[in-house]
Amino acid sequence: MTKLFQSLGDWFDHRTGVRKIIHESLYEPIPGGARWRYVWGSTLVMAFVTQLVTGIFLWMAYSPSTQTAWESVFYIQYEMNGGWLLRGIHHFMAQAMVVLLAIHFLQVVWDGAYRAPRELNFILGLILMLIVLGLALTGYLLPWDQKGYWATSVGTNLASQTPVVGPEVKKLAIGGSEYGHQTLTRFFALHAGVLPGALMAFLVLHIALFRRHGLHARKPDHKLDSMFWPDQVLKDSIAALAVLTVVLGLTIYFRGAELTAPADPANPYDAARPEWYFLFLFQFLKWFPGELEVWGAFIIPGLIMAVPFVMPWIGRTRTGHLINIALLCALLGGAAALTAQAIHEDYFAAWNSKEDILKADDPVLAARYEASERFLNAKTEAHREAQRVIELAESPQRIPPTGALSMMYDDPLLQGPKLFEQNCASCHNFQDYDAEVFAKVFGKEEGEKRRQQAEGQPKQWQEIVNPSPTAPNLYGVGSPLWIDGMLSPKLISTPNFFGYKDSPFADGDMSGFVHDTFSGELTDEQLLALMKVTRALWAESDLMPADTRKSLKDQIEEGKQLIQGGLAELFDSGMSCTDCHKFHDTGDLGSAPDLTGYMSREWLLAFVRNPAGERFYGDNNDRMPAFGPHDNPQLNQLDDKSLGLIVDWLRGDWIRVAQPAEKFDEAP
Amino acid sequence: MTAAVVTGSIAVLTPVGVGIAAFLTPLFRKSKSPEVRIALLDQVPDDGMPRYFPVVADREDAWTRYPAQRVGAVYLIRLAGEEKPTAFTAKCPHAGCFIGYTPGAKVFQCPCHTSAFNLNGSRVNGDAEVAPRGMDTLPVSIRQAKTGDGTEIAEVWVEFIDFQTGHKEKIPTA
Repeated sequence: MTKLFQSLGDWFDHRTGVRKIIHESLYEPIPGGARWRYVWGSTLVMAFVTQLVTGIFLWMAYSPSTQTAWESVFYIQYEMNGGWLLRGIHHFMAQAMVVLLAIHFLQVVWDGAYRAPRELNFILGLILMLIVLGLALTGYLLPWDQKGYWATSVGTNLASQTPVVGPEVKKLAIGGSEYGHQTLTRFFALHAGVLPGALMAFLVLHIALFRRHGLHARKPDHKLDSMFWPDQVLKDSIAALAVLTVVLGLTIYFRGAELTAPADPANPYDAARPEWYFLFLFQFLKWFPGELEVWGAFIIPGLIMAVPFVMPWIGRTRTGHLINIALLCALLGGAAALTAQAIHEDYFAAWNSKEDILKADDPVLAARYEASERFLNAKTEAHREAQRVIELAESPQRIPPTGALSMMYDDPLLQGPKLFEQNCASCHNFQDYDAEVFAKVFGKEEGEKRRQQAEGQPKQWQEIVNPSPTAPNLYGVGSPLWIDGMLSPKLISTPNFFGYKDSPFADGDMSGFVHDTFSGELTDEQLLALMKVTRALWAESDLMPADTRKSLKDQIEEGKQLIQGGLAELFDSGMSCTDCHKFHDTGDLGSAPDLTGYMSREWLLAFVRNPAGERFYGDNNDRMPAFGPHDNPQLNQLDDKSLGLIVDWLRGDWIRVAQPAEKFDEAP
Repeated sequence: MTAAVVTGSIAVLTPVGVGIAAFLTPLFRKSKSPEVRIALLDQVPDDGMPRYFPVVADREDAWTRYPAQRVGAVYLIRLAGEEKPTAFTAKCPHAGCFIGYTPGAKVFQCPCHTSAFNLNGSRVNGDAEVAPRGMDTLPVSIRQAKTGDGTEIAEVWVEFIDFQTGHKEKIPTA
């Protein structure tokens, strides 16, 4: 058997000379023996190989187009076996590579290993460094998420300021005048083809020249010379394993690389920042106002980048070498200081209290605080958005062929708050009733219960607060809580309902009716009747879950009877709802809103379209504008889709993924 | 020898040339700035406060045509007594981030490199601002549309031009 292998080996060697090659590559003399300080070059090779391997596997799952890039990365991250690990290793190894490069570079300069005859190899190393940075830059965009999109678009916009050829360079880089499919195909070709190809070519030259000149031994004394194999290889392997361990540790700790919401050219990401190792450049730019920017973006960084290329010649003398070391320290120190400054500015609001800043009464500090607050808010908001999109993409509906962005645009939970803020929040509030309101209306005990319930719980709905509302708080429209509130003498006159500023309804008929009818001690029979009315109206809104509706069928029917006249017999005021409102076949339109289908999707849509219509407030309408009175959507303030999104959001009617639980429980 | 070099070069460089020609396609494509209906004039009261509107237009990206996409955003401001609002594109003239505005604030602010602009679009710190020029205005026109019952209703239309960032002058990208 051994003989067979031996002769096979001979046959192969005879034709290829492979044994000599292996021998040459393994038996390289190491003057002074194997040392830990020689491992950095090898760890970089290992890091690159890792990127090559993980990159090829990512390539097998990635699809570069604006409808598929984010979507395919989502699939890698959340659906493929260990996909998050694969992507995480690629992501963190890229960062490790930048660190290792810095160490390698630092060591070479420190040791003066760039001196003759190694000048050219030093320059090859610098070129390799630029290629690695190029890989980092192009890779950041590929997931086509908000973070990568906005950070890269800032980068390419800066590139367009290059004197003379700037705009053309930008057009070629992004494949048009705007970001799109061609940006992705081009960046991907650079990232997975051109740059790694170039890197390999230069790496071969780099290693060939390294072999030619031999290792630059720091102190070829003390110990005996040894060979690359096996002593140095062992040390290199241990170092490579250590690097991998760190990368794996980071990957697992952060649960892989982040994927923010899909890139949306119309939705700015206020926390757009480059990857941490480019932060110093980002910060550096802030020093150059207006037209001087080109200095900050190109000329100075270009000059600084040019310095290392002449280091071998500066460093020919001992003084020159010291100058090089000083330059390098200044460069790294400057970059570190700028990075720290950038981080400090961004997290300023998290590390300082608002009161202290306000007390200081310094406009510069206040502005810094505000900017930082915006950054942090944008981060939180982006995180929330990403979570929701991923939740939707994972739901049985999956991502539509038009891509994840269109899915986001169709989601009431994501769009509702934005539309509400733009169109409704100048008058309305959207705010959960707090413990105080509860205590006031339902007693201390309920208030306390409410407070405990709310404590430490994330808000289910995003609140939008208007400090001086001029219209009701729309939180939970159509829910039992809303109906109870409207019928409660203690609540109807609060700003949550008809007690808002300058409300014509504060002393209106409805308010009067509620105060006259439901004030004071109510008998058990009256309380029961009120509950049935609430349930009947809740059922009208179509927000009642089907099984609740089934089990409460009788109560709902009785409630309907009460609304249509039954209440008059039970309460002293002698009135019921249909004396003013229309409800199904009873009552007339004209004096108060129709209660048929109260707060159902159709009802609410029609209401927002034209609250002054006969079916709703008519001439009694307060200041609410008609958002969609015309049949031609072009003439309306809000298009049909936006109206639908607002109404669905108000009603809490959106795709629920995890929990079938009701958002609004019955009032206590 | 010359013949060998020439023949060889032609053989190698022809495919390179063809590739480069295809690669340069974006330089030869011209896009037109769309005219977009932004809002009803009623939505921009003449109180001098900026109002944010998304710009919705058809957009083409290589082989895909997106009907009615948000392609950007504008701020409309109408000063007291003015008939036509001024339109500012939300794209920062510095590096193309989206300029933000908090209702009630006295300045626009860019989140990226903290440029600030007055409500008339000029730079708060003049030439000391990182942005090389004030916010870009867009051409505005008022058009009359007819409602179902024949009454006229005024609409604000804007020519949505994209400008190069980072220069003192406004240079359209297309």
